[in-house]
Amino acid sequence: MGVTKMEKSVIVRNVSKRYKLYGRKLERLKDLLIPRKSYGKEFFALRDVSFEAEKGDIIGFVGVNGSGKSTLSNIIAGVIPETSGEVTVNGQAALIAVNIGLDRKLSGRENIELKLLMLGFNKKEISELEEEIIEFSELGEFIDQPVKSYSSGMKSRLGFSISVNVDPDILIIDEALSVGDKAFAEKSLAKMMEFKEAGKTMFFVSHSIGQMRSFCEKALWLEFGEVKMFGQAGEVLDEYEAFLDNYKNMTKKEKKKFQKKAAKKRSKRQKHS
Amino acid sequence: MRAAMTVLKEQFKYFYLVRRLSVYELKSNASANYLGMAWEVIQPAIQIAIYWFVFGFGLRGKAPIAGVDFFHWMLAGIVVWFMISQGILKGTKSIFSKIKILSKMNFPMSVIPNYMVFAQFYPHLLLLGIVIIVMQFLGYTVNIYYLQLPIYMFGALAALFSITLITSTLATIVQDVQKLIQSVMRMLLYLSPILWPPQILGDKFPMIVTIMKLNPFYYIIEGYRRAILGQGWYFIDNWQYSLYFWSLVIVLFIIGAALHVKFRRHFVDFI
Repeated sequence: MGVTKMEKSVIVRNVSKRYKLYGRKLERLKDLLIPRKSYGKEFFALRDVSFEAEKGDIIGFVGVNGSGKSTLSNIIAGVIPETSGEVTVNGQAALIAVNIGLDRKLSGRENIELKLLMLGFNKKEISELEEEIIEFSELGEFIDQPVKSYSSGMKSRLGFSISVNVDPDILIIDEALSVGDKAFAEKSLAKMMEFKEAGKTMFFVSHSIGQMRSFCEKALWLEFGEVKMFGQAGEVLDEYEAFLDNYKNMTKKEKKKFQKKAAKKRSKRQKHS
Repeated sequence: MRAAMTVLKEQFKYFYLVRRLSVYELKSNASANYLGMAWEVIQPAIQIAIYWFVFGFGLRGKAPIAGVDFFHWMLAGIVVWFMISQGILKGTKSIFSKIKILSKMNFPMSVIPNYMVFAQFYPHLLLLGIVIIVMQFLGYTVNIYYLQLPIYMFGALAALFSITLITSTLATIVQDVQKLIQSVMRMLLYLSPILWPPQILGDKFPMIVTIMKLNPFYYIIEGYRRAILGQGWYFIDNWQYSLYFWSLVIVLFIIGAALHVKFRRHFVDFI
C-alpha cells in the first residue's frame, strides 16, 4: 500500500435491496397490475449499504446466515439489480459460486465452450482457454460426460475453473472454496494468491474465519442487511468472533428476541431523504 | 421506439452468438436420446402420418383439394408448422428457463428468445429438404416459385421473434402464460390452413375466413404451399395481405421490445 493515488475498483453507495413477500399468488399479481397501491410485505435483504473497494483490495464479507452477504455479492456481480442506490464497477466482474449455472445435459467441454461464448470470446480464444480450463479442473475423462453425471464437487470444480481462467478484473467468490477436496482447495488458493499478486480486486464470502484471516485484508460485517463494521480484516474479524461467541451462549429466549428485532428492522419501511 | 432500436441493434451485433448458441441448444436437446437429431424428423413424420389418416383418408375419403391430392396439399403447408409451434413454445419459455444460466454475466437478454427460435430453424431446413425431395417423386418438381421461400422463412422467423419477445417477458412474470400459450398453439393448428382448407367456408361465411386470416401464420403457411406446389407468387398476388403481415410483425416487435426492455433488468427477481 502507501500509493498516493488509489484507484477505486468498486463503489457501492446507499444500496438497498428490497424483496416483496406475498401471502398469496393473487397479491403478487395485484401488486403488479395496480400501480398506486402496494401489496405484500416488504423485506430488506440489504439496506443502505455503502463501501468502497480500492484496486487490489481483498475484502471478506462476514455475517450470520441470511445477513445479506450473497445478495451483496450478487449485486456487485450484476446478477441481480439493486432496488435503490448505486453500484459502480470498474472492470469485468466474475462471480464464482457453487452453482454457476451449467447446462446439465451438455458435457463439461461443451459447457466450457458455451460459457466462454457467452462471455464474448471468439473461436480461437475459446480453443486456447478450453485446454487450460480442462487441465485446471482435473476432471479427466469426465470432461466429455454430461454434467448431470457429475458429483457436486466436480461441478463446482468445473465452475470454478471456468470463472478463474477467464481472467476477470474483479472476482467474487461465494463459498466456492469450501467444496472440492483439500488438494483442489489448495490449488485454488494458490490461484487466488496469484490474482492477489496481480493486483486484482477480490471479494470473499465464507464462513471459515480462519481462511479469511489468512487471505483478506479488509472485512465487511453485515448484520440484518446493514453494514455493522467495515475496516481492517483483523479488527473486524475479532469483533465478529466475539459476537459469534456471545450469540452461541445466548439462551433460547434471547436468541428469539434477537431474531425478532432483526425481522422487525428489515420489514420496516425505509425513511430516506 | 427506442427500445425497438436497442433490441434490433443487439440482434445484429450478437448474431454470431445467436447462431452458435442455437447449435448448443440443439445439442442439449438431442443429447439425451439415442436417435438424437433424428427425432427432429421422426416426430413430424409421425404427426403427418396420423393427420393424413384422420383428415385426408378418414374424413375426406381421399378427395383432392382444388385439384391437389390431400397429402401433397397438407405436406406443403405443414412443413413450416413444426418450426412455428416449437418456436413459439420454446421461445415463450426461453427466458424463464435460461435465466439461471445466463444472468451471471453481462449478457444481452434479448438474444435469448431469438436463439431459441433460431434453434428451430435448422431442423426446419432439414425437414423442408426432405419434403422437397419427396415432392419430386409426387410430381411437384423444382420450379421458379421456390425462389419466394426465403421470404416466408424470414417472415416466419421475424414473426416468431416478435411474438416470443412479448410472450417470453409475460411468461417470466406470470408463469401461467406458458400454459395459455400451449393451449393457444394447439388451437391454432386447427385454425390455420394446415389440415383443412378454410376456403370451403368462403362461399357461406366469408367473414370467418377473413378473421382466420388475421393469424399471421396463415400467410406464412399459404406462402409455403404456393411455393412448393408451384402455384404462383403468393406475396405479390396478395400484396395487401403481405402488407398486413409485415405491419403486424413490426407492431408486435415494437410492443415486444418495449416490454422486454422495461422488465429485463428485473427478470431474475420474478423467479
